[in-house]
Amino acid sequence: MITLTLENLRLKVLTMTDIKNGEEEPSGLDRFAKLPIFVGLVIGILAAFVQALLITAGGPEAYGFCVACHTRDLVNWIVNAGTGLKLAIAPISANSVLPVLTIVGVLIGAYISARVYREFRVKKGDAVQFLKYGIGGFVFMVFALLMAGCPYRIALNVGYINGIAIIAVIAIIIGVFIGTQVILRITEGTR
Amino acid sequence: MALEGWLSKQAAVVAVPIVTVLFGILIGYLAQRSRFCSVGGFRDLFLFKHTRLVWGYLTLIIGALIGYIIFSLLIPSAFAGFPWVVKNGILSPIPGSPAGLSGIGYVVLTVISGLVVGLVGVFVGGCPLRQVTMTSEGNTKSLFFVIGMCIGAVVFAAFLSAWVVGLMKGAGL
Repeated sequence: MITLTLENLRLKVLTMTDIKNGEEEPSGLDRFAKLPIFVGLVIGILAAFVQALLITAGGPEAYGFCVACHTRDLVNWIVNAGTGLKLAIAPISANSVLPVLTIVGVLIGAYISARVYREFRVKKGDAVQFLKYGIGGFVFMVFALLMAGCPYRIALNVGYINGIAIIAVIAIIIGVFIGTQVILRITEGTR
Repeated sequence: MALEGWLSKQAAVVAVPIVTVLFGILIGYLAQRSRFCSVGGFRDLFLFKHTRLVWGYLTLIIGALIGYIIFSLLIPSAFAGFPWVVKNGILSPIPGSPAGLSGIGYVVLTVISGLVVGLVGVFVGGCPLRQVTMTSEGNTKSLFFVIGMCIGAVVFAAFLSAWVVGLMKGAGL
């Protein structure tokens, strides 16, 4: 019975994160795009390239990609422009004509991909789920900013050989491990 | 030391939004295709011994390391702080961390934050990048995660950052 619930959980996670077998054969390049091992490498190298290109505009270093910080820069830049407040944003965003727009790009790129490969589906939720995810996003952002980055900027900083970033990755992995143990307990409890 | 990249200051301040939006489009496209996820990678590893996603996070670190080595050789002035532990010390914080804490203070803050980030990521079914790409796939729950992130960013900058620093300094960290 436990294995059965675990199997259900596995299927749920698989549909959430793994590739369903599409009808058409993937083209040469798309085969690579579907491989996280390739995607990680590309993002990492390009993040270094972007720094080589843009860093004169302002720091910090190892800032090529961050979901938390780049969202913070964009949102706080808009709030600052609208209200005259001086909420913290990274120098590279403060000095430039517009802040880093990476997150806008991610939204556009993922939308194009989802449309092209017919994977765009409106998934509805209820108010309780919206509240849960909203609080989740809030808590995530606050604690990500406390350690100065989401797991992605942390990864870049590990590549930059930053001691604190190495500690952060270990802490994230332990946090995920604790989370998975809690989920296992919950699924055992519901049998 | 002022950091200098390939573009001049005048060109770079204009190029920042353009280059980052293009880089973002590529990341979004690749992340949607591959279901790229950092927290999800470790979750799949611990729950199901699936290594597909976790390899992506590992190669992100390796790719960044390779990139920083190559480009710091090509243009050293853009990577003055690389490698960070050599140039800035072992417990030197990631730039943009709440200012003014001791080395041990940053370790404590980082451990607590990392644990929470990992935990929250597991319970909402993915790291923030996955939430952003799922928003673009039409997932309304992920949209609320992103909205929560935006509110969190403003509240953090306006109140929480200073409050936490005060709290930690009060604790002697």
